[in-house]
Amino acid sequence: MTRTRRALGLLLVFLLLAWFLTPLLPLALWAGAESWSGTSSLPQRWGAGNLTSVYASDGGAAVLRSLALGTAVAVLATPAGAVAARALALRQVRGPRLIAALLFAPVALPVFAVVMGLNVVLLRLHVPGFLGITLVLVVTALPYTTFLMRAAYAAYDVAFEDEARTLGASPGAVRWRVRLPLLSPALAGAAFLAFLVGWSDYIVTLLLGGGRYVTLPILVASAASGTGNEPTVAALSLVALVPPALLLVSLGLLRRRLNPRRSGSARRSDPAVSPLPLVEGAA
Amino acid sequence: MRATLVVAAPVLAVLLVVVTGLGATALQSLGLMPLTGAPRLSFAAYTSENGELLTATGLSLLIAAASTALAAVVGLATAVAAMSSPRTRRLLTGLVTATVPVPHLVGAASVGLLLADGGLLSRWLGASPGTWPSLVAGRWPTAVVLEYAWKESAFIALVVTATLATRLTGYHETAALLGAGPWARFRHVTLPLAAPALGLASAITFVYTLGSYEVAWLLGPAYPEPLPVMAYRLFTSTDLAARPEAMALAMTTTVIAGAAALAALALVRRTAAWR
Repeated sequence: MTRTRRALGLLLVFLLLAWFLTPLLPLALWAGAESWSGTSSLPQRWGAGNLTSVYASDGGAAVLRSLALGTAVAVLATPAGAVAARALALRQVRGPRLIAALLFAPVALPVFAVVMGLNVVLLRLHVPGFLGITLVLVVTALPYTTFLMRAAYAAYDVAFEDEARTLGASPGAVRWRVRLPLLSPALAGAAFLAFLVGWSDYIVTLLLGGGRYVTLPILVASAASGTGNEPTVAALSLVALVPPALLLVSLGLLRRRLNPRRSGSARRSDPAVSPLPLVEGAA
Repeated sequence: MRATLVVAAPVLAVLLVVVTGLGATALQSLGLMPLTGAPRLSFAAYTSENGELLTATGLSLLIAAASTALAAVVGLATAVAAMSSPRTRRLLTGLVTATVPVPHLVGAASVGLLLADGGLLSRWLGASPGTWPSLVAGRWPTAVVLEYAWKESAFIALVVTATLATRLTGYHETAALLGAGPWARFRHVTLPLAAPALGLASAITFVYTLGSYEVAWLLGPAYPEPLPVMAYRLFTSTDLAARPEAMALAMTTTVIAGAAALAALALVRRTAAWR
């Protein structure tokens, strides 16, 4: 009985491993395939040629543009979400429910529908493409940064700030030497999600950039919609996975450094097991 | 006072983008903001497509419902499996955490390479030419649903695991002491505790898949199209008269998404574990 159940449990874990890993498998194989005939199950020749050709073409510029977009969204949406969350958590504003509803509304709305209408307005006002794209993506990211910081403030003790003030700390010192360090894991998580919103976006860039603002997702999409481009598609896609992966690892390291008890054996009562906060990058 | 000023910036940004954007979409769908000529109120954009609007709506609902259902089942199964031991939990949480930041477009590109005719699976299973089912760009949106379900199951698993991790252990021990078997513990302890998080995460998934463009565009057939794909095609059409129809499709998507979000919120608030 217990043995059967254990075997079934193992089978379930194995199936879940396959479910989560298989979809990305073609990327690894195709990106490293220098030649792969239509019938064989594995590439005949391996090499890094596909990856280097990404940079030889205009892939490098697209990567820089995507990095700029992700960074701009993170730099704007993280502090905005943090101040909104603080005001909501400490009940400093009138109508907190209405404000929360407004800030979370973008999650429930299809962004393409908003952008299709906005397109004409931005064109008539002569708003530059990058500015319009950033503005829309910041609004898309705000629900995530606000939600995450709101959750962080729920576990945050304002008494630390009062204590520091009692000991004579200036408002600036309270902000930079008490509040910021205590909230830094949550802030890093929020910035990560906001970066992902900008880094992964396709439809907003497509609709507002009018084909002039070529980011990495635009290149991936144009390669993937053609036929016979498998190596290019895989190489571009792999490149698109590198920054999120690096950021995820550094986020994990940051958490580990700030909370060393969690490294080694994970404690069972730990609420946050994953370095990634509970939110979907609309990504 | 200062707090109100500070919150004003993000709130104004949301209002500016959402109200201006949706307002302009609604006005254009009603012929009140034409690219050329004088504005004239008309509902033609909502009725002129001879059932195309209905077909697109049906397909969109099908994709969103199927993706969400599959993602919820796999996500919940992952969260429950993660609770079995600390090592399994680390493994599955790591896997799920690595999946969530993958851009949907990259996921779609890779799923295309996996499931297309001549893709990885057809090679590995040794399918002879012409026998592979058209999972990509076929009559049914199979690849589209699988890509959404894959990515969103990771999201749902992450949310539900975090909820269960903080609450489950104590309840489980109590229930086991009182003689509850595994099924009874799942049915009467795990499921009620997971319900609010599962419900909200599923609602976010449903709304997202309903309004998302690139996966269905890349992996779906040329016809029939779901709402966002058809809307984008009409939006970029050289025929400017198609603009109001594109906007009508966008408004339809918005109304369905908004209604689904509100309904889900109302349902989740009625669950026992909602605080």
